[in-house]
Amino acid sequence: MSFPKVELMAPAGNFDSLAAAIQAGADSIYFGVEQLNMRSRSSVNFTVHDLKEIATRCKAHHVKTYLTLNTIVYDHDLALMKLIINSAKQVGIDAVIAADQAVIAYANKQKMEVHISTQLNITNVDTVEFYARFADVMVLSRELSIRQIKGISDAIKKQQIKGPSGKLVQIEVFAHGSLCMAVSGKCYLSLHTHNASANRGACVQNCRRKYKVIDIEDGHELELDNEYIMSPKDLCTIDFLNELIAAGVNVLKIEGRGKSADYVKTVTQCYREAIDLYYEGMFTQNKVKEWKEQLQQVYNRDFWGGYYLGKELGEWTDTAGSKALTRKIYLGKGSRYFSKSKIAEFEIESYSLEVGDKIAIIGPTTGVIEHVVASLHVNEEGAKTTAAKGDLCAFPLDVPIRKSDKLYKIVAAEEVVA
Amino acid sequence: MSVTITQQRDKCIGCNYCVEQAPERWRMSKKDGKSVLIGAKEKKGFWTVKVADHELQANLDAAKVCPVKIIQVTMK
Repeated sequence: MSFPKVELMAPAGNFDSLAAAIQAGADSIYFGVEQLNMRSRSSVNFTVHDLKEIATRCKAHHVKTYLTLNTIVYDHDLALMKLIINSAKQVGIDAVIAADQAVIAYANKQKMEVHISTQLNITNVDTVEFYARFADVMVLSRELSIRQIKGISDAIKKQQIKGPSGKLVQIEVFAHGSLCMAVSGKCYLSLHTHNASANRGACVQNCRRKYKVIDIEDGHELELDNEYIMSPKDLCTIDFLNELIAAGVNVLKIEGRGKSADYVKTVTQCYREAIDLYYEGMFTQNKVKEWKEQLQQVYNRDFWGGYYLGKELGEWTDTAGSKALTRKIYLGKGSRYFSKSKIAEFEIESYSLEVGDKIAIIGPTTGVIEHVVASLHVNEEGAKTTAAKGDLCAFPLDVPIRKSDKLYKIVAAEEVVA
Repeated sequence: MSVTITQQRDKCIGCNYCVEQAPERWRMSKKDGKSVLIGAKEKKGFWTVKVADHELQANLDAAKVCPVKIIQVTMK
């Protein structure tokens, strides 16, 4: 499983995102099924029955598939855990991302490739050597610097640390996405306040809220420069991706199984291009600027370089939600596609669509299509400039759309009243 | 008064808290790792059972601690 280049791994929280990741050029995707994954709260979760389709669709595009099974595991979870691994193995899922020793041991027994989750917080080469008995890929702790990562990577080569496959152990790091305030996600804040354990994928994200510090004795509220004192900005490594790759990282992971398909597509596309240009010797600061502008369009809490640069510790966001420069407004759903004339027809269910609007069409098979509407045909009335709620509208589009697709209008964030 | 408990079982994340609060009425399934509302019947994904009054408090506690809020206790 060696890639000539560093491997780009994208998140797939549902089939929309999976299709978007493939479209955007991911080398691999990771996903969770049932409740034993770190996004079990998310309303859309794959089930064991989806495994076959995930494997088939990804194999057709030569995209590797990794199943996250990295929550803490109780006795009552063991049968489900085994069922998930057996099913994954049977349909040809490439590896399991695990943290609990029961999962690691069972996957090993079933000869299912194991990747060690960041939940296990690997921070040194001896730990890599320990887990090499079981796993071929290790996700390193998110708190390491590039210098430390390079140290581990060099030591793997020097000491010839090999995984069960007989190949040198690969190291994986997070390249982009949300960071949390706890070391490698091991946080109990949500459990304390809402009984909702982050370590069972049920985090309520209390760290993203505003807090005050009050002196209990005299009731004085302490003034804080930034009230979001526990909410870090999002990780973005695109400006120093060259250094990260040069440090010997084998796999770059994008966070975001809870995020939308358009996020997955934009972020994966930017990193795909950055990686490709790095190997062509064309990784320039001008390109970095372009990518950062694109990354700012989708969900983000502003960016910082995480702990990789060994400085600027503690960069906190100053907003509750996203600072994305654009927002999506739901307009309606796919009706049909006339393949001969290449016309897409949609049913408008809310808001309105106008000629000149920038749109996104998102669906489980379609993935994400971005387009600017050049002309509109509304109902039987012919060419018009606006399609309103209840209208059936059509416009030329080179790629087919489906009934399962949703139509969104992309607008500047300031146009949307919160 | 009658007490009815409902669970939207599909969304259970198997945290075990309902069992800790009301062990007489809840158990963890060793088959799929989700909690089982003992004695309940399923209709369109919702599992429902009528219970005696003395079980009210424990099950209200179970509903309160459920992290994904899929337990409902109603009194008539």
